[in-house]
Amino acid sequence: MGSIFSRILGRLWGDKEVRILILGLDGAGKTTILYRLQVGEVVTTIPTIGFNVETVQYKNIKFQVWDLGGQTSIRPYWRCYYANTDAVIYVVDSVDRDRVSTAKEELMAMLEEDELKDASLLVFANKQDMQGAMSAAEVSDALGLSTLMNRQWSIYKTSAVKGEGLTEGLDWLINIMQK
Amino acid sequence: MDVFSKPKFFTTSTKGENAELLVELNSEYRERRKDAVKRVIANMTVGKDVSSLFPQVVKNMQTEDLEMKKLVYLYLMNYAKSNPDLVILAVNTFVRDTDHLNPLIRALAIRTMGCIRVDKILDHVCEPLKKCLQDDNPYVRKTAALAVAKLWDLDQERARENGFVEILQELLSDSTPMVVANAVTALAEMQESATIDNGGDVFVVNVVTMNKMLAALNECTEWGQIAILTSLADYRPVDSKEAENICERVVPRLSHANGSVVLSSIRVIMMYMRYLKNDDFVKALIKKMSPPLVSLLASPPEVQYVALRNINLILQKRPDILQNDVRVFFCKYNDPPYVKREKLEIIIKLSNGRNIDQVLSELKEYASEVDVDFVRKAVRAIGRCAIMIDEASERCVNVLLDLINTKVNYVVQEAIIVIKDIFRKYPQRYEAIIPTLCQNLDSLDEPEAKGSLIWILGEYAERIENAVELIESFLETFLEENSQVQLQLLTATVKLFLKKPSQSQELVHRVLQTATQEIDNPDTRDRAYVYWRLLSTDPQAAKAVVLSEKPPISVESGGGTGATGSGRGPSNGLAGVSRIAPGLMDELICNISTLASVYHKPPRAFLGNKAFSADAVRKAAVEDAKDEEQIAGEDAPVPGSAAAAAPKNAMADLLDLDFGSAEPQVPAYSSPPVSGTRAPANYNADLFGLSSDMGNMSGAFGGSNGLQNNMNGGNSASGSNGNLFGDLGGFGGFGQSPPLSQNQQHQQPQSTPQNTQSSAVNDLLDLL
Repeated sequence: MGSIFSRILGRLWGDKEVRILILGLDGAGKTTILYRLQVGEVVTTIPTIGFNVETVQYKNIKFQVWDLGGQTSIRPYWRCYYANTDAVIYVVDSVDRDRVSTAKEELMAMLEEDELKDASLLVFANKQDMQGAMSAAEVSDALGLSTLMNRQWSIYKTSAVKGEGLTEGLDWLINIMQK
Repeated sequence: MDVFSKPKFFTTSTKGENAELLVELNSEYRERRKDAVKRVIANMTVGKDVSSLFPQVVKNMQTEDLEMKKLVYLYLMNYAKSNPDLVILAVNTFVRDTDHLNPLIRALAIRTMGCIRVDKILDHVCEPLKKCLQDDNPYVRKTAALAVAKLWDLDQERARENGFVEILQELLSDSTPMVVANAVTALAEMQESATIDNGGDVFVVNVVTMNKMLAALNECTEWGQIAILTSLADYRPVDSKEAENICERVVPRLSHANGSVVLSSIRVIMMYMRYLKNDDFVKALIKKMSPPLVSLLASPPEVQYVALRNINLILQKRPDILQNDVRVFFCKYNDPPYVKREKLEIIIKLSNGRNIDQVLSELKEYASEVDVDFVRKAVRAIGRCAIMIDEASERCVNVLLDLINTKVNYVVQEAIIVIKDIFRKYPQRYEAIIPTLCQNLDSLDEPEAKGSLIWILGEYAERIENAVELIESFLETFLEENSQVQLQLLTATVKLFLKKPSQSQELVHRVLQTATQEIDNPDTRDRAYVYWRLLSTDPQAAKAVVLSEKPPISVESGGGTGATGSGRGPSNGLAGVSRIAPGLMDELICNISTLASVYHKPPRAFLGNKAFSADAVRKAAVEDAKDEEQIAGEDAPVPGSAAAAAPKNAMADLLDLDFGSAEPQVPAYSSPPVSGTRAPANYNADLFGLSSDMGNMSGAFGGSNGLQNNMNGGNSASGSNGNLFGDLGGFGGFGQSPPLSQNQQHQQPQSTPQNTQSSAVNDLLDLL
C-alpha cells in the first residue's frame, strides 16, 4: 500500500491523477455511473463502443475514471487499460441473474492480471431501484468475493439513476487509498 | 525523464524504444503522455513501426487538448489498417467528437473516420456521418460530404441504404458554395464507380444541378472550382443559347491564378463551343482564351509543358486561336528540351504568311544551337513551313540553302531530307538548287538523307548531267547499304534508265541482277523482280508506271518530318506529324487538363487496371484508322464504276505506293485519292482496276485478278498467297514504311525469307 500512498502524495506536486477503471458486462450501467459521478446527472447513453474517460473531482482528489465498453467484442481489450490502475470499480446488473456467472468469470479473469495485483476492488451492485434486484450479499456470493485473497475489496448497493450508494463507495475507496 | 526538460522527439534510445514509449503513454502525467504521443508521431514520420503502441495511443484520444487529439487522429489514420480489430476502441470517442461543441473537432472526427478504411467500423460510421451531413456548420458539412465518397468506396451498398446519395444530392443546393463544391466532388467521384448493378447513376448533371454549380462556381476554393468545372463539362446544353450562357459564366474563371482552373475552364468552353451557333460569340471566346493560355507559359517548365501539350491540342481543334502570339512560343535558351520541342511544334502550327519571316529567322537561329536533336527538329520545322505556306516556300528554301552551306554534317543531312519533301510539294520549282545538294554527296551517312538525295537524283536525272556517275558512285556500296537506301537506288536507277537509256543500260542490268541474286531482303529483291519484268515486257508501261505524275504531298501528310516514324502507331501515323485523328481529338478535348491531354492518349490507354497493353492500344488505333478510311473511301472513285477515271486512279495508286515506299518517310498517307494506310482489300481493288483497265499492263499484272480471288477466298490456300500478297505489298508501298503493324501479311515474308523466295517467285511466274 506504500506505493499507492506515495502516488497519492505525488499528486500534490504534479498534475498526477488517480486512475480508476469502471468495468462490467454490457448494460450494467457503467457509463451512467461515470456521468453521474462527473456531472451529477443522469445522461442518456448509448452502448459504449470503445471507452469514455473523464476527470472526476471528489473531495479534493482528482480521479481519472475510465469507463470501458462491456460488450463481448470489447472485453478482450480491457487488458490494454490495466497499466497504472489504482482501483477497479466493477459494476454488476443486480437484476440480470442469468449473466451474473459471466460477470464472475470476467471479474476473476481480470483479477488474475499481474498489472492489477495492487488495485483495490469496489463492486457496485447496481440497479437497486428495480424490482427483483439481488441484494449486496447475494451479489457478493454470486461473484465469490469472499474467496478473494490479498485484495482490498468492498461491495455497495447502488442505483445510478437515483444516485444512491455511489458516494459511499467512493468514500471507501479514498479511505482505502489514503491508508 | 524530467517533465520540464526539453523533449527530444527524434532521439533514439538503446533499449527498445517502443517499450519505453509504452510506459510513457501510460504515465499519470498529462504532459508526459503528450510528449510520448509526439515522439510516437515523430517515429512514425521517419518510418519506424510504432503500430504496436496502438491501444496506448488510442487511450490518449479522448482529451480536450486539440493538439493531442490531432496527433492521435494522425496516428489512427496511419495505423488503423494494421490494427483493424483495435480500431473499435476508438469508435466511442469518434462518436462523441462528432457531437462536440467545437465544429472543428466535429469535422476533424468525421474526416478521420472517413480516412479509416476498416470494414469493422463501418457499422458505427453511418450514424455520426448522417448527423454531420446535416450539421449547422458548413465546414462540418463539407467535410462530411467527402467522407461519404470514402464510405462509398468501401461499401456502396451501405452508402445507398443509408440514403447518403440522396443527402449528397440535397447538399448540391446548399447555401454555402464550399459545401456544394465538395458535394459535387464526392458525387462525381462516386459516379465513376456507380454501376447499374448497384443502383445506377448517382450524379447526372441536369439543368437544375448545372445552375446550382454555376452559382457556387465563383465563390468556392480552387479545388472546388476545378471539381465544378470538371462536372460542368459533362453537361450537354440543350441549345446554343444555353451553351452561350454557361460559357459566359465560366469565362471569368479564365483569369484565375491557378493553371488547373484555367485549363478546366478552357475545357468547358472548348466542349460547349460545339453547341454554339453564334460565330461572333465563338470568335470572342477564342479571343478571350488566348491571354490565359499565354500567361500559363510564365509558369515553371513542368507546368509550361502541360500547358503546351494542351495548347497543341487546342490549336489542332481551333487553329484560329493564338494567331498573333507566335512570339510567345519562341524558345528561350534555358528552356528544358521537352519544352523546346513542344514550343517548336506550336510555332509550326502557328506560322502563317504574315509571321513567316519572324518564324524563319527564329528557326534558323535554333539550327545553330548545340543540341543536335533540337537542331534537326528546327530544320524539319523549316521544311514543314515551306510545305505549309506556299508563298514562303522560297524563303524557306533559301534558309535551308544557307544551312547547307554551313557544312555542319547533321544540318546538311536533315536539310536534304526536308528539301526532298519540298521538291515533292513544289515540283519543277526549285530544281536549280540540285547542284548545291550534289556537292554534299560525300558527307551523307544516314540512310534517310542518302535515300532522299538518291530519290532526287533519280527524279531529276534528266537535269543532272552527271547523274549516271553519281548513282554509279552510290552503287559501289550497294550491297552494304541499308535496305531503305537499296530500294531508293533501285528505283532511281530504273528512273535513270528510263530517262537516259543509252547511258545506263548496263547499269540498270547490273543493279537488277545484283538485287535479285545477291540480296536476301524480300522487299528489295521482289521490287527488283517487278521492275525487271516490267522493263523486259513493256518499257512503255514501265515508263508510265515509274515516271508518271505523282500527287503532290500536302501539309497534312506533313512532308514526312518524323524521322522516327517507325515507332509510332498508325493512329497518328503521318510519319511523325503529331496530327491526331478526329475521333481521338474529340476525346482528348474532353480531357483537357488531365493526363490524357498531356500524353495525347485516351485515358483508357493508361488508366489503372483498365489499362490496355501497348498492343491493344495499337489495335484500337488501327480500328480508328480503318474507320476513317472507310469514310475516305466513300470519296475515292471506285474502279469500274467510273471506268474513265479508274485507270488513272489505279495508276496513281501504284505510283503513289511505289514512291511511298521509295521514300519511306513520305508514305503520303493522306494524299488523295488513296492512302498508304489503306486496308488490304483496297489494294486488291486497285490492282484489279489496274489489270482490267490498262490493257498494256495486263502482262505484268494479269494475274492480279486471280490473286484477288485468292485473297478474297479467305487465305484458303497455302501460305504462298499470303506471301505473294506480302511481296506485292512490299512492292506496293509497304516497303520500309514505318507502320508495319498495319499489314500483318507483310511481316510474314520477312520472317521466312527462304519460303518466300520460292513461293513468291513461283507465283509470280505463274501469273506471268
